Amino acid sequence: MAATEPVRPKAARSQGWTAGGPVSGRDTNLIRIGIVLGAAILWEGVSRSGWLFQDVVPSLLAIGAAIGKMLVNPAFYANLQVTAGEVFASLAIGGALGIFTGIALGSNRFLGAAFEPYVYYLAPTPRIIFFPVMIMWFGVGAASKIALGALSCFFTVALSTAGGMRGIDTVLIRVGKSFRATPWQMGMKIYLPAMRVPVLNGIRLGFGTAMVTALLAETKLSNQGLGYMIMQIYSRFDMPSLYALLIIVFIIAGAGNLILGRVTGTNA
Amino acid sequence: MNNAAANAAGDKAVPVMPAPAAEAQLVIDRVSKRFGEGPGAVVAVDDMSFDVMPGEFVACIGPSGCGKSTLFNIIGGLQEEYVGNVMIDKSRIAGPHAAVGMVFQEESTFPWRNVLDNVAFPLELQNVGQSERRDRAQKFISLVGLQGFEKRMPSELSGGMRQRVSIARTLVSGPRILLMDEPFAALDEQTRLLLGDKITQIQQELHQTTLLITHNLTEAVQLSDRIVVMTYRPGRVKRIVNIDLPRPRTSDVVSSPAFGKYVAEIWGDLREEATRGMEEAEAGAAARGKTARG
Repeated sequence: MAATEPVRPKAARSQGWTAGGPVSGRDTNLIRIGIVLGAAILWEGVSRSGWLFQDVVPSLLAIGAAIGKMLVNPAFYANLQVTAGEVFASLAIGGALGIFTGIALGSNRFLGAAFEPYVYYLAPTPRIIFFPVMIMWFGVGAASKIALGALSCFFTVALSTAGGMRGIDTVLIRVGKSFRATPWQMGMKIYLPAMRVPVLNGIRLGFGTAMVTALLAETKLSNQGLGYMIMQIYSRFDMPSLYALLIIVFIIAGAGNLILGRVTGTNA
Repeated sequence: MNNAAANAAGDKAVPVMPAPAAEAQLVIDRVSKRFGEGPGAVVAVDDMSFDVMPGEFVACIGPSGCGKSTLFNIIGGLQEEYVGNVMIDKSRIAGPHAAVGMVFQEESTFPWRNVLDNVAFPLELQNVGQSERRDRAQKFISLVGLQGFEKRMPSELSGGMRQRVSIARTLVSGPRILLMDEPFAALDEQTRLLLGDKITQIQQELHQTTLLITHNLTEAVQLSDRIVVMTYRPGRVKRIVNIDLPRPRTSDVVSSPAFGKYVAEIWGDLREEATRGMEEAEAGAAARGKTARG
């Protein structure tokens, strides 16, 4: 969707730290606005033409009104809070475990060779298939969504951390040793900054997968959260509200991604 | 094959250094290093001995694969297991030593730090306060001619400038011996000559004791007071040549007849070794090709 910020190309190699400006300028912004406007006009045209059921393709005005209503609905904020809490708890747990595992796999050749194939094979498995297991372990509440979300972002973060660890230019480690850096100094002043970009990119991708997984799980079995709310509105066949909620979720996901992108950006 | 090479090298008497008059800054005393065990073992450095006097610029020159980098790592303390003694102040080097400052062949600036913070890195490790750190780093940034570039990131600099940042970073730690491994290998010839001027100037200004590891003949003659010529595998001292070119020197020296004489003389020695190195490398490649086909 147009609301998500496109990922800026980021060279993760050692020479990737540039202060260089963005490639795009006014032209790409015009195209982006054009895409949104074009989609809106097409949508409205289809809606008014009557070719499709008005219920399925409601007018933009109806959707706008539904967005307004949604934004003053206390139930929306309660559900948003639940989902946001789940996503951040997932990211915190899965991210921390992922970084820890990634460092272990990346720094130890033996561990890496022994365990990494499993991580690679498990990484693309759709996590939702573990949902029934998580429900049995953690119940139908937020805990099972957090567990599933943590599981999904764990792999992303672990793999990018392990890659970042191995990608460190060995000469930089030799430089640190030649200046007699302590192990603590090696970690804080060489390993961490050298791995910063791949690790933060992993966290950013992990945020995306955690969000997808949490929402997906909520649509399946839950009694709160935005996913649950979407299914509830769907069951009432309240299309304007459904679209309104989807647009709001898109914007939130896009904003979250944008903020993480800024944090992981090259400034600082 | 290895045996034949060892015998050929063994037939020649290795010249013995005359006893130094003053106290040497760095003593390399019968240093050897072997990698691996049994018939597959490679002797990288074999019984090398030479001294570096205070304020002296010595170059170690040899063909590729002669064990130069092994020697560099031993003296720098990154290769802790070796036979013989590398002595500084009567103590044997085993591990990185504060008196030795290393400059690496590879691109070694920290890409996430600007020039100032790169140069100040060793001071940061020693917990020097921020303002003193800046002042001291600034001094060496000016010394290598990078004033005005303090806030630039390494990616915004040329390769020659980045290598100067590395040199400044090593000098700021105040090493008594500057140890450089082919610091200009990745640079073009003109940059190399000009950077050589910079090095000569720095060395004359700081009276910096320097040991340069290189395979570049003009670079070695341009910069050095003495040149240690190494043999190809195992790395031994073939000859030590005094370079009596006037100081202060600039890169103009390369056009003087005396310079040409030294280059020709050392090339005579080096040529044998380089030829042997090339032949062995080619024989090795042919043997590998045969096993790959067979």
